[in-house]
Amino acid sequence: MNRSLAVRLAWMFALAALTIFLLVGVALHHVLSSELGYHEAAELATRMEVIQHLVSRTTTLEKWLRVHEKLDALAPGDASTRVWALSRDPLFEYGDAPGTLRTRLLSARGLDQMVLSPDRPPYRILARTVPAAGERPEVRLVVALDTARFRATMHVFALALLLLCSLGVAAVAGLGYWIARVGLGPLNRLSEEARQIRPVNLSQRLATDRCPTELTHMAAAFNGALDRLEDAYTQLQSFNADVAHELRTPLTNLIGQTQVALSKERSAPDLEDVLQSNLEELNRLRTIVNDMLFLARADQGAAAANAVPTPLVPEIRKTVEFMEFVLDDVGMKVRIEGEARAAVDASLFGRAVTNLLQNAVQYSSPGAELVVRVEQDARGARVAVSNPGAPIPPEHLERLFDRFYRIDESRGNSGENHGLGLSIVKAVAAMHNGAVFAHSAGNMNTVGFTISEAA
Amino acid sequence: MRILIVEDEVKTADYLHRGLTEQGYAVDLARNGVDGRHMALTADYDVLVLDVMLPGIDGFEVLQSIRAHKQTPVIMLTARDRVNDRVHGLRAGADDYLVKPFSFLELVARLQALNRRGRAQEPLDLMVGDLHVDLLNRRAARGAQRLDLTAKEFSLLAVLARRQGEILSKTSIAEMVWDITFDTNTNVVEVAIKRLRDKLDGPFERKLLHTIRGMGYVLEARDEEPGIEP
Repeated sequence: MNRSLAVRLAWMFALAALTIFLLVGVALHHVLSSELGYHEAAELATRMEVIQHLVSRTTTLEKWLRVHEKLDALAPGDASTRVWALSRDPLFEYGDAPGTLRTRLLSARGLDQMVLSPDRPPYRILARTVPAAGERPEVRLVVALDTARFRATMHVFALALLLLCSLGVAAVAGLGYWIARVGLGPLNRLSEEARQIRPVNLSQRLATDRCPTELTHMAAAFNGALDRLEDAYTQLQSFNADVAHELRTPLTNLIGQTQVALSKERSAPDLEDVLQSNLEELNRLRTIVNDMLFLARADQGAAAANAVPTPLVPEIRKTVEFMEFVLDDVGMKVRIEGEARAAVDASLFGRAVTNLLQNAVQYSSPGAELVVRVEQDARGARVAVSNPGAPIPPEHLERLFDRFYRIDESRGNSGENHGLGLSIVKAVAAMHNGAVFAHSAGNMNTVGFTISEAA
Repeated sequence: MRILIVEDEVKTADYLHRGLTEQGYAVDLARNGVDGRHMALTADYDVLVLDVMLPGIDGFEVLQSIRAHKQTPVIMLTARDRVNDRVHGLRAGADDYLVKPFSFLELVARLQALNRRGRAQEPLDLMVGDLHVDLLNRRAARGAQRLDLTAKEFSLLAVLARRQGEILSKTSIAEMVWDITFDTNTNVVEVAIKRLRDKLDGPFERKLLHTIRGMGYVLEARDEEPGIEP
């Protein structure tokens, strides 16, 4: 779903506002309602006080008639307040209470609500008994207050509340949308900046210093991705340049010597010689192309397809045996230390070990002893080849596995070695989820790789 | 041995045709998949050399339709070295698989290997000129003089003697002697050959182990004058 972030935020703001307004509204309604109820009860009580006082002082029928007048004044004609005085003696009564109404009024206790006529809302009533005094018998007093006003007030209040809530929610949504738009402004700026990045200005980065803190992480991560891409891109570019350079020499030889050969009448053995020389160059080209294709496959994330759990020492011994004549020639010995088992593709593994050994032979003096150290570790295995030799400066050490990288340029074009040997070791390690390492300490140089079981 | 080459690339097809003919094979050539399929199905060949990338129908398809009727051994050629391709090819019934750029010698070696299949066992004694290689007791002698060879040197000599007269590339020597199936850029084979040569040819007038520059090595008793080899 591809919805606008601002719209989303506005919706969320509106929802939050609605919830809060509703809660506050309900609370306000409740407070007002109970406050009004309290006031009504107080008014009822005040009137009752007055009437009760009036009635309790009245002990004769003559005075009771005067009470009538006063009660008439207390209960206005609009029936918003009604008063009854009920007793056993019909002479000492006030208010019109026919049949059932009288019974209901007599049954009322304390503060109560009662429907007095079907066309009016219920009345709030208060009932009290005044004990007998003189001629007057015990009188039951009932004061009723119409709740229509209360109800009307609550109704208007509820309406106002609802309207204000709706307006508030709408306003919050609108404002929220605007805030989100403004707040997301830095994101738009970042996208605009990102849009500007092209292969020609690959070193350009997003400006993290002007970013809000929340976006710094994202921008930094994006910049990190750009860093890695730039590295890969630069490496690829220089790799391409290196490839072109590496191929140029054999191609020049091929073209040149073929042209020279053809520019004059030659004897068959001479031509044969040229062809043989061409063949040597062509084989060199083939090796480079094959190795580069191999590296390209590793780059594309090819994994060792035929990896099976293998004891590593016998595999290493096999390659040492293969190298035996070469080692013998320079009086070198290889000592294999340790033991390990790991899932490897035997031929890839052998290739890596051969390259490491060859590298060690190339960079140590005759008579040296090379050590192949195999270790089992938590994640898999580790193979390191050490040879005595002049310390390798750190700046070379880290570039040792780069393609076509040679510490000693003059030894580079010896035909046998085209500078991809250790890159291939690295590729083989990568195909086994491993990595390469190199260190130089004292007069021992160690280069090796790891194999990780994790698929 | 009768061979059919199905290959559309003109230069490749031509040199294969010429090279294999000169090796003494009877070679037919088809320049596209449709012709190749037709020829493979109508005539009897000992081996098919089949390119994968062909116009019309590709090598895999040709292979499939041939396999539906015949079991002629097939070597596939391809410029794409994807493991999937290889698996695809071998599953579809190819007997072998060569990735371009491959060397001509390699192709010849594979053809011979396919042709050798199911033949009678090889002899246990080999003679090359006055060289006698006793495979059973792992001993070698020139004339009456016994050669003092290490185990590996003898293995190397045995491999060369078994294929006497055949040019063996460094790659196939590494594979046959050391069981090294991967590419290496070492000069092991050269060093080994040099050692063997010192013992085999050093003290003798007649040289048997010859270097073919850029191709490999061959063990044979040549009639020409000795001493011109490097």
